[in-house]
Amino acid sequence: MMGYKLKKIWTDRVLYLMLLPAAVFFTLFHLLPIYGMKLAFFDYRIIGEDVYVGMKYFKILFSTPVFSTVLANTLIISAMKLILIFPIPIIFALMLNEFHNGRFRKAIQVVSYLPHFLSWVVIAGIWFEFLSPSTGAVNELIKLFGFPARDFLTDKDTIRWVLVISEAWRSIGWDSIIFFAVILGVSPSLYEAAYADGANRWHILTRIVLPHLYVPMVTIFILNVGFIMNAGLDQVLNFTNVSVNSRIDIIDTYVYRVGLVNGEYSFATAANLFKSIIGVVLVLSTHFISKKLTSKGAW
Amino acid sequence: MAAKGFTVSKLILGLLLTAITLTMFVPIVNLFAKALSSPDKVYLMKGYDLLPKGFSLLHFKVVLSNPIVGKALLNSLFITVTGTLLSVFFTTISAYVLTRKNLVGKAPLMVFLIIFMILEPGIVPEYMVMKDLRLLDSLWSMVLYRTINVFYLIIMMRFMEDVPDSLIEAAKIDGAGHMRVFVRIVLPLAKVPLLTIGMFYAVSRWNEFFKSSIFLSDPDKTVLQVLLRQFVVDNDSTALLSAATLLSNNEVAQLDFSALKAATIVIAMIPILVLYPIILKYYTSGVMEGGIKE
Repeated sequence: MMGYKLKKIWTDRVLYLMLLPAAVFFTLFHLLPIYGMKLAFFDYRIIGEDVYVGMKYFKILFSTPVFSTVLANTLIISAMKLILIFPIPIIFALMLNEFHNGRFRKAIQVVSYLPHFLSWVVIAGIWFEFLSPSTGAVNELIKLFGFPARDFLTDKDTIRWVLVISEAWRSIGWDSIIFFAVILGVSPSLYEAAYADGANRWHILTRIVLPHLYVPMVTIFILNVGFIMNAGLDQVLNFTNVSVNSRIDIIDTYVYRVGLVNGEYSFATAANLFKSIIGVVLVLSTHFISKKLTSKGAW
Repeated sequence: MAAKGFTVSKLILGLLLTAITLTMFVPIVNLFAKALSSPDKVYLMKGYDLLPKGFSLLHFKVVLSNPIVGKALLNSLFITVTGTLLSVFFTTISAYVLTRKNLVGKAPLMVFLIIFMILEPGIVPEYMVMKDLRLLDSLWSMVLYRTINVFYLIIMMRFMEDVPDSLIEAAKIDGAGHMRVFVRIVLPLAKVPLLTIGMFYAVSRWNEFFKSSIFLSDPDKTVLQVLLRQFVVDNDSTALLSAATLLSNNEVAQLDFSALKAATIVIAMIPILVLYPIILKYYTSGVMEGGIKE
């Protein structure tokens, strides 16, 4: 058995050689950083060996009030996005399906997919203009209705909504594709049969279209739960400012600030390790739950 | 199927869809219009204006003639082009190997890949590795960083599994080695998935900003997204206006900072807009097909 395997490896040696660059990349940029996470249990030394300190940094972490704030912010922002944004692409796809005029539908699709491909820096640039109290389109509209202009970006009460709505703005079109494809995939004979039986449009929606969407809906929702520890680093970094940071400071921005700006490497790594472990557990469990329920997993 | 003809509910749906889409269309076109307005009329621009007030390329001239922007643009292009080519090549070749029949060690390798996909070590250990590799402040840090994305590798593997074995076996009988089979047979067949993951990689590399800001802190190595953040988010105009010395005093006095910002944002969007038709064709159809198969 062993001999056969060795022989097979030898015959396939060219294949392994072809895989060598990948092995190098993965070792350097995945394996080494994962190994480097051990820094959470060591005191970082610029000169000489790092000193093992056990759970010291985790104890500090859990007694740091700021950490509970950023953990709460992360969960609140993620939960808002998860629940409020989830139905939007589905409704968007259902609405789009009502239009059979090729040009109208195509135009809506072409424009609404675009934001998905823009960086958060560019989106922030667009939104700053959009929400500008002096010239922005949103405030022009507010003024038109006789209300005073508002600066949503520096207001603690509105900033999380800005994150949620800008995320929805970015993903509504793109995330609707998968649902739209499923709707288009429904066999026309089902509709014909239903109409022949005297079904109205409401029956069609609730008895034929929605049941087809059940599997992708459940899969996507469950898998999104798995990523709840990622509240949107790039987005927050670009939308944050001094007035609102306490409301949208998340674990990722905290790790960046404490680790790379303040240079507290071990402490930041401990915070990140905490986040990563929860993340792995969530992704793995949601993957298996989804597999069980819908036979579709995360990969 | 939807009812034919005109109904009130359909009108409402149409207006709703149009309104949602206008929230994307208007701000983006407005930025173009603002950047193209003549400097002395920018202040007249409202957020919903779709046409420039007057017409001038001065804002683009100032931004593009700024050596800092020029350098950042070149750095971004270098990372995007080199990185995407390397990524596509190594992702495809690895996918080919990992889908060969009875490859010894495939199962443990896949377990590693899944671990790499879901376990994020975080920015500090990654920064340390870059430092140890002496790649900090080298453009290669961003070219080589995560050259192969596990997710795209798995997408490519799904495609490779569909390449008929008979084709590959036939070539082998003719004496072709794996490398030759890969280049001559598999690559030409993989045109659509190659373009699809190529778009994925190109977009994410062009848009990458967090890791670039950390690995490339030397101002000479800054990429466009990081510079854009300085202008747009931090409102730091010194770098942007430094090139204004090339202009006459009269012109400098006229320059409008918000229009300069708009011009920079437009420049950062242009590669995406140029690629957008290809993106829509391949990337979108990939997602659609995936959806229909489900």
